[in-house]
Amino acid sequence: MAMAEVHVIGQIMGATGFSESSLLCKWGVHTGAAWKLLSGVREGQTQVDTPQIGDMAYWSHPIDLHFATKGLQGWPRLHLQVWSQDSFGRCQLAGYGFCHVPSSPGTHQLDCPTWRPLGSWREQLARAFVGGGPQLLHGDAIYSGADRYRLHTTSGGTVHLELSLLLRHFDRYGVEC
Amino acid sequence: MAAAAPSVFLLMVNGQVESAQFPEYDDLYCKYCFVYGQDWAPTAGLEEGISQITSKSQDARRALVWNFPIDVTFKSTNPYGWPQIVLSVYGPDVFGNDVVRGYGAVHVPLSPGRHKKTIPMFVPESTSKLQKFTSWFMGRRPEYTDPKVVAQGEGREGGNTEAVIPKAAWICLPAWLTLSFCPQ
Repeated sequence: MAMAEVHVIGQIMGATGFSESSLLCKWGVHTGAAWKLLSGVREGQTQVDTPQIGDMAYWSHPIDLHFATKGLQGWPRLHLQVWSQDSFGRCQLAGYGFCHVPSSPGTHQLDCPTWRPLGSWREQLARAFVGGGPQLLHGDAIYSGADRYRLHTTSGGTVHLELSLLLRHFDRYGVEC
Repeated sequence: MAAAAPSVFLLMVNGQVESAQFPEYDDLYCKYCFVYGQDWAPTAGLEEGISQITSKSQDARRALVWNFPIDVTFKSTNPYGWPQIVLSVYGPDVFGNDVVRGYGAVHVPLSPGRHKKTIPMFVPESTSKLQKFTSWFMGRRPEYTDPKVVAQGEGREGGNTEAVIPKAAWICLPAWLTLSFCPQ
């Protein structure tokens, strides 16, 4: 029986609401075990952009993914890390965020809020003056809910995406889209 | 088990490059071309085009209007590699040569109907200070020989600072380009 297929086509348009400038976004897609990526790259990194008008940093980063799956569990999730780069080329974390890829066909505008770990008052002071700051050791906490209760975080800005979904063969599995 | 023959579908794109806003430049023309995956091929219409040269309107809008038609039909067996339209805007520098003023790319909309898209324009910026000064002085910037690179996702990270040839990074201009589409 042919596997159900999902096409995710769109762009990471940009981000607003970050206090830092010169932002770049590292993105990746996490799926469950039943999903297979047929075409496209699973992760990537945008260029660095500084807001020129207003406070939106624009990336216009294209995303084109083709998945095949046998089950709905582990529907793809996009996880994002926004970093800011200073003139020396050092990167500082600006926010982590994730959003589920939409499950209905069509074009969707997504706004993904972000957060970053706060750290102790010493680390906060150091971040304000010198830069750096606490980061997650393992990226899974970005898109998983387990063990989050230990974290104390503060908010970052919002990442804007436009994603279009095409679904195929889902009716053969009895799934209505 | 017999494999089903891949089914072919057509994507017809009608539209226009409406206008642009470039606060710093005037007398601009734009070129469009399409970037698409291996499973796609154009079957009808023009895949590339160059518009007329337009000047800013004298009113408060300061808009650069092209009203340049786009009319192309693609055929494909796979939505992967959905076509993106790549736009490059050019204008004269202080010596009268045509130099690039911005690049932009966007996917052709996936659903039928009318769509209006306003896209930000990017220019490649050299990471070498000498080249930045030269380009400011001469009024010309590093240019991509193939504008289609702007539609690719890989390779956008900042260049290696040890490279001998200065690598270009992208900077986003305070400039906009508006397109309208009616894909079927």
